[in-house]
Amino acid sequence: MDAEQSYQVRLEIFEGPLDLLLFLIRKKKIDIQDIPIALITREYLDYLSRKDRINLDREAEFLLMAALLIYIKSQMLLPREQLLEPEEDPRKELADRLMDYQTIKAVVQVLREKEDEQMQVWRRSALTSPLPDEDLDLIEVSLFDLAESFFTMMKRRQGEELKVIKGKEVTMAEKMNEIINVLKERHYLDFLEYLGEQETLEEALVAFFCLLELIKARLVIAIQEQLFHTIKVWLRKEAHVKATHG
Amino acid sequence: MAEKLKEIIESMIFISVEPLTPEKMKEVLQDVPEQDIAQAVQDLVAAYAASEGAIRIIQTAGGYVFSTKPEFDPYVRRLLQIERKSRLSHQALETLSAIAYHQPVTLPEISAIRGCDSTYALHSLLEKKLIKIVGRKEAPGRPLLYRTTDKFLVYFGLNSLEDLPKEEELKKLMEEENA
Repeated sequence: MDAEQSYQVRLEIFEGPLDLLLFLIRKKKIDIQDIPIALITREYLDYLSRKDRINLDREAEFLLMAALLIYIKSQMLLPREQLLEPEEDPRKELADRLMDYQTIKAVVQVLREKEDEQMQVWRRSALTSPLPDEDLDLIEVSLFDLAESFFTMMKRRQGEELKVIKGKEVTMAEKMNEIINVLKERHYLDFLEYLGEQETLEEALVAFFCLLELIKARLVIAIQEQLFHTIKVWLRKEAHVKATHG
Repeated sequence: MAEKLKEIIESMIFISVEPLTPEKMKEVLQDVPEQDIAQAVQDLVAAYAASEGAIRIIQTAGGYVFSTKPEFDPYVRRLLQIERKSRLSHQALETLSAIAYHQPVTLPEISAIRGCDSTYALHSLLEKKLIKIVGRKEAPGRPLLYRTTDKFLVYFGLNSLEDLPKEEELKKLMEEENA
Protein backbone atom coordinates (compact mmCIF):
# COMPACT_ATOMS: atom_id res chain seq x y z
CA MET A 1 0.00 0.00 0.00
CA ASP A 2 1.55 3.34 -0.94
CA ALA A 3 1.58 6.30 1.37
CA GLU A 4 -1.08 8.21 -0.49
CA GLN A 5 -3.54 5.37 -0.20
CA SER A 6 -3.07 4.72 3.48
CA TYR A 7 -3.61 8.42 4.05
CA GLN A 8 -7.00 8.18 2.40
CA VAL A 9 -8.03 5.08 4.27
CA ARG A 10 -7.18 6.48 7.66
CA LEU A 11 -9.14 9.60 6.91
CA GLU A 12 -12.36 7.63 6.96
CA ILE A 13 -12.18 7.38 10.72
CA PHE A 14 -11.17 10.95 11.44
CA GLU A 15 -13.65 12.69 13.60
CA GLY A 16 -12.18 15.85 15.02
CA PRO A 17 -9.30 18.23 14.62
CA LEU A 18 -7.45 16.53 17.47
CA ASP A 19 -7.64 13.33 15.53
CA LEU A 20 -6.13 14.93 12.49
CA LEU A 21 -3.48 16.72 14.47
CA LEU A 22 -2.58 13.54 16.26
CA PHE A 23 -2.35 11.76 12.96
CA LEU A 24 -0.06 14.40 11.47
CA ILE A 25 2.10 14.33 14.57
CA ARG A 26 2.29 10.57 14.49
CA LYS A 27 3.12 10.48 10.81
CA LYS A 28 6.06 12.79 11.39
CA LYS A 29 6.97 10.80 14.48
CA ILE A 30 7.11 13.95 16.54
CA ASP A 31 7.00 14.16 20.29
CA ILE A 32 3.73 15.62 21.41
CA GLN A 33 5.57 17.83 23.87
CA ASP A 34 7.29 19.55 20.98
CA ILE A 35 4.74 20.49 18.37
CA PRO A 36 6.30 22.10 15.30
CA ILE A 37 3.49 24.28 14.10
CA ALA A 38 4.86 25.32 10.71
CA LEU A 39 5.45 21.71 9.72
CA ILE A 40 2.01 20.56 10.71
CA THR A 41 0.29 23.48 9.05
CA ARG A 42 2.24 22.91 5.84
CA GLU A 43 1.43 19.22 5.92
CA TYR A 44 -2.22 20.03 6.42
CA LEU A 45 -2.32 22.53 3.55
CA ASP A 46 -0.62 19.96 1.33
CA TYR A 47 -3.26 17.46 2.25
CA LEU A 48 -6.04 19.94 1.49
CA SER A 49 -4.65 20.76 -1.93
CA ARG A 50 -4.38 17.09 -2.77
CA LYS A 51 -8.00 16.43 -1.98
CA ASP A 52 -10.58 17.15 -4.62
CA ARG A 53 -13.43 16.93 -2.16
CA ILE A 54 -13.52 18.61 1.20
CA ASN A 55 -15.53 17.82 4.27
CA LEU A 56 -16.39 21.33 5.41
CA ASP A 57 -17.25 20.36 8.96
CA ARG A 58 -13.96 18.70 9.52
CA GLU A 59 -11.87 21.37 7.84
CA ALA A 60 -13.69 24.09 9.79
CA GLU A 61 -12.81 22.31 13.00
CA PHE A 62 -9.21 22.17 11.95
CA LEU A 63 -9.23 25.95 11.45
CA LEU A 64 -9.80 26.32 15.16
CA MET A 65 -6.85 24.09 15.78
CA ALA A 66 -4.76 26.01 13.26
CA ALA A 67 -5.63 29.27 15.01
CA LEU A 68 -4.55 27.76 18.30
CA LEU A 69 -1.30 26.59 16.75
CA ILE A 70 -0.58 30.05 15.36
CA TYR A 71 -1.36 31.57 18.72
CA ILE A 72 1.08 29.23 20.38
CA LYS A 73 3.70 30.00 17.77
CA SER A 74 3.29 33.75 18.21
CA GLN A 75 3.60 33.36 21.98
CA MET A 76 6.79 31.43 21.48
CA LEU A 77 8.26 34.01 19.12
CA LEU A 78 7.52 37.06 21.22
CA PRO A 79 10.60 38.25 23.06
CA ARG A 80 10.16 38.19 26.80
CA GLU A 81 11.97 39.87 29.58
CA GLN A 82 11.78 36.84 31.79
CA LEU A 83 12.04 33.29 30.69
CA LEU A 84 8.79 31.38 30.95
CA GLU A 85 8.31 28.84 33.68
CA PRO A 86 7.81 25.38 32.20
CA GLU A 87 4.24 25.49 33.52
CA GLU A 88 3.51 28.55 31.44
CA ASP A 89 4.66 27.07 28.17
CA PRO A 90 1.82 27.88 25.76
CA ARG A 91 2.24 24.47 24.18
CA LYS A 92 1.41 22.76 27.43
CA GLU A 93 -2.35 23.05 27.21
CA LEU A 94 -2.48 21.57 23.76
CA ALA A 95 0.00 18.86 24.68
CA ASP A 96 -2.13 17.91 27.69
CA ARG A 97 -5.25 17.72 25.62
CA LEU A 98 -3.49 15.61 23.04
CA MET A 99 -2.24 13.24 25.71
CA ASP A 100 -5.77 12.87 27.03
CA TYR A 101 -7.07 12.28 23.57
CA GLN A 102 -4.40 9.74 22.78
CA THR A 103 -5.42 7.80 25.86
CA ILE A 104 -9.01 7.78 24.62
CA LYS A 105 -7.84 6.45 21.26
CA ALA A 106 -6.11 3.58 23.02
CA VAL A 107 -9.28 2.86 25.01
CA VAL A 108 -11.29 2.81 21.77
CA GLN A 109 -8.97 0.14 20.45
CA VAL A 110 -9.36 -1.98 23.57
CA LEU A 111 -13.14 -1.63 23.60
CA ARG A 112 -13.40 -2.44 19.90
CA GLU A 113 -11.52 -5.69 20.48
CA LYS A 114 -13.81 -6.56 23.35
CA GLU A 115 -16.84 -5.71 21.23
CA ASP A 116 -15.60 -8.02 18.48
CA GLU A 117 -15.14 -10.82 21.01
CA GLN A 118 -18.63 -10.32 22.36
CA MET A 119 -20.11 -10.31 18.86
CA GLN A 120 -19.33 -13.98 18.63
CA VAL A 121 -20.76 -15.20 21.88
CA TRP A 122 -24.45 -15.57 22.49
CA ARG A 123 -26.50 -15.46 25.63
CA ARG A 124 -30.07 -16.36 26.24
CA SER A 125 -30.94 -12.67 26.34
CA ALA A 126 -30.57 -12.78 22.55
CA LEU A 127 -33.77 -14.81 22.46
CA THR A 128 -37.14 -13.17 22.37
CA SER A 129 -38.82 -12.35 25.60
CA PRO A 130 -42.49 -13.43 25.76
CA LEU A 131 -43.66 -9.85 25.43
CA PRO A 132 -41.72 -6.87 24.19
CA ASP A 133 -40.75 -4.78 27.17
CA GLU A 134 -39.32 -1.32 27.53
CA ASP A 135 -35.75 -2.43 28.02
CA LEU A 136 -35.37 -3.99 24.62
CA ASP A 137 -34.09 -2.04 21.67
CA LEU A 138 -37.32 -2.28 19.77
CA ILE A 139 -37.59 -0.82 16.36
CA GLU A 140 -41.06 -0.27 15.08
CA VAL A 141 -40.82 -1.03 11.41
CA SER A 142 -42.11 1.21 8.68
CA LEU A 143 -44.34 0.28 5.79
CA PHE A 144 -41.27 0.19 3.58
CA ASP A 145 -39.56 -2.42 5.74
CA LEU A 146 -42.65 -4.57 5.62
CA ALA A 147 -43.06 -4.17 1.88
CA GLU A 148 -39.40 -4.93 1.28
CA SER A 149 -39.60 -8.02 3.44
CA PHE A 150 -42.70 -9.13 1.61
CA PHE A 151 -41.26 -8.67 -1.86
CA THR A 152 -38.08 -10.48 -0.89
CA MET A 153 -40.19 -13.42 0.09
CA MET A 154 -42.26 -13.24 -3.07
CA LYS A 155 -39.12 -13.30 -5.12
CA ARG A 156 -37.88 -16.32 -3.25
CA ARG A 157 -41.12 -18.11 -3.98
CA GLN A 158 -41.19 -17.14 -7.62
CA GLY A 159 -39.34 -20.31 -8.54
CA GLU A 160 -42.03 -22.47 -7.01
CA GLU A 161 -44.57 -23.96 -9.25
CA LEU A 162 -47.77 -22.37 -8.24
CA LYS A 163 -50.96 -24.26 -8.75
CA VAL A 164 -53.99 -22.08 -8.83
CA ILE A 165 -56.87 -23.65 -7.02
CA LYS A 166 -60.10 -21.99 -7.82
CA GLY A 167 -62.92 -21.81 -5.42
CA LYS A 168 -61.06 -20.81 -2.31
CA GLU A 169 -61.65 -17.18 -1.81
CA VAL A 170 -60.57 -15.41 1.30
CA THR A 171 -62.03 -12.12 2.28
CA MET A 172 -60.11 -9.48 4.16
CA ALA A 173 -62.47 -9.76 7.12
CA GLU A 174 -61.96 -13.53 7.42
CA LYS A 175 -58.23 -13.21 7.17
CA MET A 176 -58.08 -10.43 9.72
CA ASN A 177 -60.03 -12.54 12.18
CA GLU A 178 -57.73 -15.43 11.49
CA ILE A 179 -54.66 -13.29 12.18
CA ILE A 180 -56.12 -11.95 15.41
CA ASN A 181 -56.92 -15.49 16.52
CA VAL A 182 -53.44 -16.71 15.69
CA LEU A 183 -52.00 -13.80 17.63
CA LYS A 184 -54.18 -14.50 20.63
CA GLU A 185 -52.92 -18.03 20.63
CA ARG A 186 -49.27 -17.53 19.79
CA HIS A 187 -48.75 -14.00 21.16
CA TYR A 188 -46.72 -13.07 18.14
CA LEU A 189 -46.07 -14.23 14.64
CA ASP A 190 -43.08 -14.01 12.43
CA PHE A 191 -44.04 -11.75 9.56
CA LEU A 192 -42.30 -13.66 6.79
CA GLU A 193 -42.98 -17.09 8.20
CA TYR A 194 -46.67 -16.36 8.39
CA LEU A 195 -46.90 -15.05 4.85
CA GLY A 196 -44.82 -17.98 3.67
CA GLU A 197 -47.29 -20.40 5.26
CA GLN A 198 -50.12 -19.11 3.11
CA GLU A 199 -51.27 -21.64 0.56
CA THR A 200 -51.61 -19.45 -2.46
CA LEU A 201 -50.10 -16.27 -3.69
CA GLU A 202 -53.48 -14.65 -3.50
CA GLU A 203 -53.91 -15.64 0.10
CA ALA A 204 -50.45 -14.33 0.95
CA LEU A 205 -51.32 -11.03 -0.67
CA VAL A 206 -54.56 -10.82 1.24
CA ALA A 207 -52.72 -11.64 4.46
CA PHE A 208 -50.17 -8.94 3.71
CA PHE A 209 -52.86 -6.31 3.20
CA CYS A 210 -54.68 -7.48 6.29
CA LEU A 211 -51.55 -7.03 8.35
CA LEU A 212 -51.10 -3.54 6.95
CA GLU A 213 -54.70 -2.78 7.77
CA LEU A 214 -54.36 -4.10 11.32
CA ILE A 215 -51.22 -2.05 11.84
CA LYS A 216 -53.00 1.03 10.58
CA ALA A 217 -55.92 0.34 12.91
CA ARG A 218 -53.35 0.06 15.72
CA LEU A 219 -54.60 -3.38 16.68
CA VAL A 220 -51.24 -4.98 16.10
CA ILE A 221 -47.70 -3.72 16.06
CA ALA A 222 -44.83 -4.78 13.81
CA ILE A 223 -41.51 -4.81 15.58
CA GLN A 224 -37.93 -5.65 14.88
CA GLU A 225 -36.12 -6.42 18.10
CA GLN A 226 -32.80 -5.52 16.62
CA LEU A 227 -31.54 -4.48 13.28
CA PHE A 228 -31.37 -7.46 10.91
CA HIS A 229 -33.65 -9.55 13.08
CA THR A 230 -36.81 -10.85 11.56
CA ILE A 231 -39.93 -8.73 11.79
CA LYS A 232 -42.48 -9.86 14.34
CA VAL A 233 -46.07 -8.89 14.67
CA TRP A 234 -47.56 -8.51 18.13
CA LEU A 235 -51.07 -7.91 19.28
CA ARG A 236 -51.25 -4.56 21.00
CA LYS A 237 -52.12 -4.91 24.69
CA GLU A 238 -55.16 -2.68 24.57
CA ALA A 239 -56.34 -4.53 21.46
CA HIS A 240 -55.92 -7.80 23.33
CA VAL A 241 -58.35 -6.65 25.97
CA LYS A 242 -60.79 -5.40 23.36
CA ALA A 243 -60.59 -8.60 21.38
CA THR A 244 -61.20 -10.74 24.45
CA HIS A 245 -64.07 -8.79 25.90
CA GLY A 246 -65.49 -7.21 22.86
CA MET B 1 -29.04 -29.37 50.29
CA ALA B 2 -25.37 -28.43 50.56
CA GLU B 3 -24.15 -31.27 48.36
CA LYS B 4 -26.47 -30.16 45.57
CA LEU B 5 -25.48 -26.51 45.91
CA LYS B 6 -23.52 -26.41 42.67
CA GLU B 7 -26.45 -27.89 40.74
CA ILE B 8 -28.93 -25.53 42.39
CA ILE B 9 -26.89 -22.54 41.31
CA GLU B 10 -26.49 -24.05 37.85
CA SER B 11 -30.27 -24.25 37.48
CA MET B 12 -30.69 -20.66 38.60
CA ILE B 13 -28.11 -19.37 36.14
CA PHE B 14 -29.67 -21.52 33.42
CA ILE B 15 -33.03 -19.86 33.82
CA SER B 16 -31.64 -16.32 34.11
CA VAL B 17 -31.67 -14.14 31.04
CA GLU B 18 -29.77 -11.34 32.74
CA PRO B 19 -26.52 -12.06 34.65
CA LEU B 20 -27.38 -13.66 38.01
CA THR B 21 -25.66 -11.81 40.84
CA PRO B 22 -24.33 -13.43 44.05
CA GLU B 23 -26.78 -11.19 45.93
CA LYS B 24 -29.71 -12.76 44.10
CA MET B 25 -28.34 -16.25 44.78
CA LYS B 26 -28.07 -15.39 48.46
CA GLU B 27 -31.65 -14.17 48.46
CA VAL B 28 -32.79 -17.59 47.24
CA LEU B 29 -30.36 -19.65 49.32
CA GLN B 30 -30.99 -17.86 52.57
CA ASP B 31 -29.45 -20.28 55.05
CA VAL B 32 -26.38 -21.13 53.01
CA PRO B 33 -23.21 -19.31 54.10
CA GLU B 34 -21.90 -16.77 51.65
CA GLN B 35 -18.52 -18.42 51.16
CA ASP B 36 -20.18 -21.77 50.36
CA ILE B 37 -22.11 -20.09 47.56
CA ALA B 38 -18.98 -18.36 46.29
CA GLN B 39 -17.09 -21.67 46.33
CA ALA B 40 -19.89 -23.50 44.52
CA VAL B 41 -20.04 -20.80 41.84
CA GLN B 42 -16.30 -20.99 41.38
CA ASP B 43 -16.43 -24.80 41.03
CA LEU B 44 -19.31 -24.55 38.59
CA VAL B 45 -17.57 -21.97 36.38
CA ALA B 46 -14.39 -24.07 36.46
CA ALA B 47 -16.32 -27.23 35.56
CA TYR B 48 -17.84 -25.59 32.50
CA ALA B 49 -14.52 -24.07 31.50
CA ALA B 50 -12.89 -27.50 31.64
CA SER B 51 -15.62 -29.26 29.68
CA GLU B 52 -15.58 -29.78 25.93
CA GLY B 53 -19.16 -28.54 25.59
CA ALA B 54 -20.42 -25.56 23.66
CA ILE B 55 -21.54 -23.63 26.72
CA ARG B 56 -19.58 -21.80 29.35
CA ILE B 57 -20.43 -19.54 32.25
CA ILE B 58 -19.13 -16.00 32.08
CA GLN B 59 -18.98 -13.35 34.76
CA THR B 60 -20.26 -10.03 33.56
CA ALA B 61 -21.65 -6.89 35.21
CA GLY B 62 -21.19 -8.57 38.58
CA GLY B 63 -23.29 -11.63 37.71
CA TYR B 64 -23.09 -15.01 36.00
CA VAL B 65 -24.69 -16.03 32.75
CA PHE B 66 -24.46 -18.89 30.27
CA SER B 67 -22.98 -18.12 26.87
CA THR B 68 -22.02 -20.05 23.78
CA LYS B 69 -18.40 -20.37 22.71
CA PRO B 70 -17.31 -18.14 19.81
CA GLU B 71 -16.82 -21.02 17.37
CA PHE B 72 -20.58 -21.65 17.26
CA ASP B 73 -21.41 -18.09 16.32
CA PRO B 74 -22.16 -18.84 12.64
CA TYR B 75 -24.71 -21.51 13.56
CA VAL B 76 -26.43 -19.43 16.21
CA ARG B 77 -26.76 -16.60 13.74
CA ARG B 78 -28.21 -18.90 11.15
CA LEU B 79 -30.72 -20.23 13.66
CA LEU B 80 -31.78 -16.75 14.77
CA GLN B 81 -31.66 -15.47 11.20
CA ILE B 82 -29.29 -12.65 12.02
CA GLU B 83 -26.89 -11.62 9.29
CA ARG B 84 -24.55 -9.88 11.64
CA LYS B 85 -24.69 -7.94 14.86
CA SER B 86 -24.23 -4.25 14.32
CA ARG B 87 -21.17 -2.63 15.87
CA LEU B 88 -20.99 0.77 17.45
CA SER B 89 -19.81 3.57 15.20
CA HIS B 90 -16.32 4.93 15.70
CA GLN B 91 -17.80 8.19 16.93
CA ALA B 92 -20.03 6.44 19.46
CA LEU B 93 -17.20 4.24 20.71
CA GLU B 94 -14.87 7.23 21.17
CA THR B 95 -17.55 9.11 23.10
CA LEU B 96 -18.20 6.03 25.22
CA SER B 97 -14.48 5.68 25.98
CA ALA B 98 -14.30 9.31 27.06
CA ILE B 99 -17.27 8.77 29.39
CA ALA B 100 -15.94 5.47 30.77
CA TYR B 101 -12.65 7.07 31.80
CA HIS B 102 -13.89 10.43 33.01
CA GLN B 103 -17.23 9.60 34.61
CA PRO B 104 -19.25 11.28 35.89
CA VAL B 105 -18.78 13.71 33.04
CA THR B 106 -20.72 16.44 31.23
CA LEU B 107 -21.31 16.88 27.51
CA PRO B 108 -19.04 19.96 27.18
CA GLU B 109 -16.27 18.01 28.92
CA ILE B 110 -16.68 15.07 26.54
CA SER B 111 -16.65 17.40 23.54
CA ALA B 112 -13.47 19.07 24.83
CA ILE B 113 -11.73 15.72 25.29
CA ARG B 114 -12.65 14.62 21.79
CA GLY B 115 -12.09 18.02 20.19
CA CYS B 116 -15.47 17.93 18.47
CA ASP B 117 -19.14 18.18 19.22
CA SER B 118 -20.46 14.97 20.75
CA THR B 119 -24.17 15.70 21.10
CA TYR B 120 -25.31 13.22 18.51
CA ALA B 121 -23.10 10.37 19.70
CA LEU B 122 -24.20 10.99 23.29
CA HIS B 123 -27.86 10.75 22.37
CA SER B 124 -27.42 7.54 20.47
CA LEU B 125 -25.58 6.04 23.47
CA LEU B 126 -28.39 7.13 25.78
CA GLU B 127 -30.90 5.52 23.46
CA LYS B 128 -28.92 2.29 23.49
CA LYS B 129 -28.87 2.53 27.30
CA LEU B 130 -25.09 2.20 27.37
CA ILE B 131 -24.93 5.43 29.39
CA LYS B 132 -27.31 7.17 31.77
CA ILE B 133 -27.86 10.56 33.37
CA VAL B 134 -26.85 10.56 37.03
CA GLY B 135 -27.49 14.16 38.03
CA ARG B 136 -26.26 17.66 37.43
CA LYS B 137 -22.89 19.21 37.97
CA GLU B 138 -22.75 22.07 40.45
CA ALA B 139 -21.22 24.38 37.89
CA PRO B 140 -22.48 27.28 35.77
CA GLY B 141 -25.48 26.11 33.77
CA ARG B 142 -25.75 22.97 35.92
CA PRO B 143 -24.97 20.63 33.01
CA LEU B 144 -26.12 16.99 33.16
CA LEU B 145 -23.68 14.34 34.32
CA TYR B 146 -23.34 11.01 32.53
CA ARG B 147 -22.14 7.56 33.57
CA THR B 148 -21.85 4.18 31.92
CA THR B 149 -24.51 1.56 32.75
CA ASP B 150 -24.49 -2.16 33.59
CA LYS B 151 -25.53 -2.74 30.00
CA PHE B 152 -22.24 -1.14 28.99
CA LEU B 153 -20.40 -3.77 31.06
CA VAL B 154 -22.44 -6.62 29.59
CA TYR B 155 -22.01 -5.30 26.05
CA PHE B 156 -18.23 -5.40 26.31
CA GLY B 157 -18.14 -8.51 28.49
CA LEU B 158 -16.68 -6.64 31.45
CA ASN B 159 -17.33 -7.61 35.03
CA SER B 160 -16.82 -4.13 36.47
CA LEU B 161 -15.22 -0.83 35.53
CA GLU B 162 -12.10 -2.16 37.23
CA ASP B 163 -11.70 -4.46 34.22
CA LEU B 164 -10.95 -1.52 31.95
CA PRO B 165 -7.23 -1.20 31.23
CA LYS B 166 -5.37 0.98 33.73
CA GLU B 167 -3.39 4.02 32.72
CA GLU B 168 -0.07 2.15 32.69
CA GLU B 169 -1.47 -0.54 30.42
CA LEU B 170 -2.81 2.11 28.08
CA LYS B 171 0.57 3.84 27.99
CA LYS B 172 2.16 0.57 26.98
CA LEU B 173 -0.44 0.16 24.26
CA MET B 174 0.19 3.67 22.97
CA GLU B 175 3.94 3.08 22.87
CA GLU B 176 3.43 -0.06 20.83
CA GLU B 177 1.21 1.88 18.51
CA ASN B 178 3.72 4.68 18.08
CA ALA B 179 6.68 2.39 17.62
